[in-house]
Amino acid sequence: MAAADSPSTALRRRDLCSRGIRLAGKMRADVVDLLDAYVEQQGLDASASVAAVEGVPLAAVERWDEQTGTQRLLENLAAYRAFRALLAQMLEEQREQLGEADAGLGRALAAVLLQVSAFAYHLEELLRLESRGIPGEEEEEEEEEEEDGPPPPPRLSLFEQKLRGLGGLRELAQWAVRSVRDLRQLAKPSPATGAAPGLAESS
Amino acid sequence: QYERVGADVTMKCGSMDWDAAVTWTVNGTDIDESHLNGAYLILKNVGLSQSGQYSCYEGSSWHLKYQTNLKVGTPPKEPVLMCRSNNYPKGFYCSWHLPTPTYIPNTFNISVIHGTKDMVCEKDAIPKNRCHIRYLQLFSTVKYKVTLTVTNALGKNFTTLTFDEFAIVKPDPPESVVAKPVPNNPRRLEVSWQNPSSWPDPESFPLKFFLRYRPLILDQWQHVELSDGTSHTITDAYAGKEYIIQVAAKDNDIGTWSDWRHHSSSHHPLSFLAETTSASTSSFMAPPTTKICDKGAVVGSGAMAVCWTAGLVVAAYSVLFI
Repeated sequence: MAAADSPSTALRRRDLCSRGIRLAGKMRADVVDLLDAYVEQQGLDASASVAAVEGVPLAAVERWDEQTGTQRLLENLAAYRAFRALLAQMLEEQREQLGEADAGLGRALAAVLLQVSAFAYHLEELLRLESRGIPGEEEEEEEEEEEDGPPPPPRLSLFEQKLRGLGGLRELAQWAVRSVRDLRQLAKPSPATGAAPGLAESS
Repeated sequence: QYERVGADVTMKCGSMDWDAAVTWTVNGTDIDESHLNGAYLILKNVGLSQSGQYSCYEGSSWHLKYQTNLKVGTPPKEPVLMCRSNNYPKGFYCSWHLPTPTYIPNTFNISVIHGTKDMVCEKDAIPKNRCHIRYLQLFSTVKYKVTLTVTNALGKNFTTLTFDEFAIVKPDPPESVVAKPVPNNPRRLEVSWQNPSSWPDPESFPLKFFLRYRPLILDQWQHVELSDGTSHTITDAYAGKEYIIQVAAKDNDIGTWSDWRHHSSSHHPLSFLAETTSASTSSFMAPPTTKICDKGAVVGSGAMAVCWTAGLVVAAYSVLFI
């Protein structure tokens, strides 16, 4: 069972949550702009429905209000790590296809990738604060020592890449909103212990 | 028996022979023979006023041979459907109406689909043309599709709305808008309000607010957007002038602004107050610079022709209770 928060932990958590909320808000605004530019540049229909694509984490969640703080942090972290990989791949594909033809879109993608990376790091900070192990770090380090990295995903057709990009950016925009809500929940003090609600594990 | 407006209606008198002598009545009043063809009643180009109870009696015995309740109406036009979430993240409601009446009973059937999942829209007792849906998921990119079908005896029609979870989020207007003068600061008005009571969790889903105000005698609004808190101090009020103050609300992150009422400047001030229903609007007097009880600074009817401090209280209550 987790101990009650010290005042400094509680303050640090609130501070991290506040900064995280601002980061997520800015990220969302930039993702929405990027989505508009992407749809135009790729010649897509903005209202088209896109099926779930492998590698794109869905923001949709049932019983969101019942999630613990740890669940929120872990799900957010897993999502933004996936988006980091997705955006890096999109950027590479963009450069391969267009070279310097649409540097603006490339720069926008890179800027969002930077924000996603920063946000993922921010989430790791929050997890460290809760004395939670950062998932996947140790395994990733071991893999890097033993191999040249994970095997590359199967190559998508150009059209499939476009749809993945559309679906991915849409989900990222939703995740940014969800993250703001999650961080607000985390920042709430618990009435009994002063700990953030849901972060204490049941014994 | 339902018939369309403009239709030609022929009624047979039960099993009577086509040339039998009969009398037709509508709502107890005899119908002129010019409308009869033998025992048949012919009504051409029926109108709404020809709805009623039609009866046919055998000529000599005056036995009732046939009776029908004729209702003249129209098939339904495409219904108007609106969906909105004023209690996010609990759920949303959809409400509907027909653009023109049909004059006959209608049945409404609503279906809500989220992706491949059918959702239940629970009908409200009041009003009858409304139902609500609970969100089973949040933050979904999958659109909701709502189809409303209206059916009556003369036909059917339908309409479909497709929308995102975020797009329909629109809070109710803020409540209890109150303005108070600031002591010894005649140009200041302290405005406060409350979150709409329908918004279930303002702590987790905070609202931001948009305040606009102007003196009654001017058309130009001043605007202030407030990202937190439920109060604001106006510092540039004109002393002794009556003000209109309006506040709207929006979820901090998604959706659209709540309504506020639009007012015509030609209305009497108390009429502004009387119109206040969906928007939170208050009419207040900024304090005069000198006298505390300066009747010359009071505008309006007898109900407001009082000392300005009391007048302010009366105005506040007028907003709340008219």
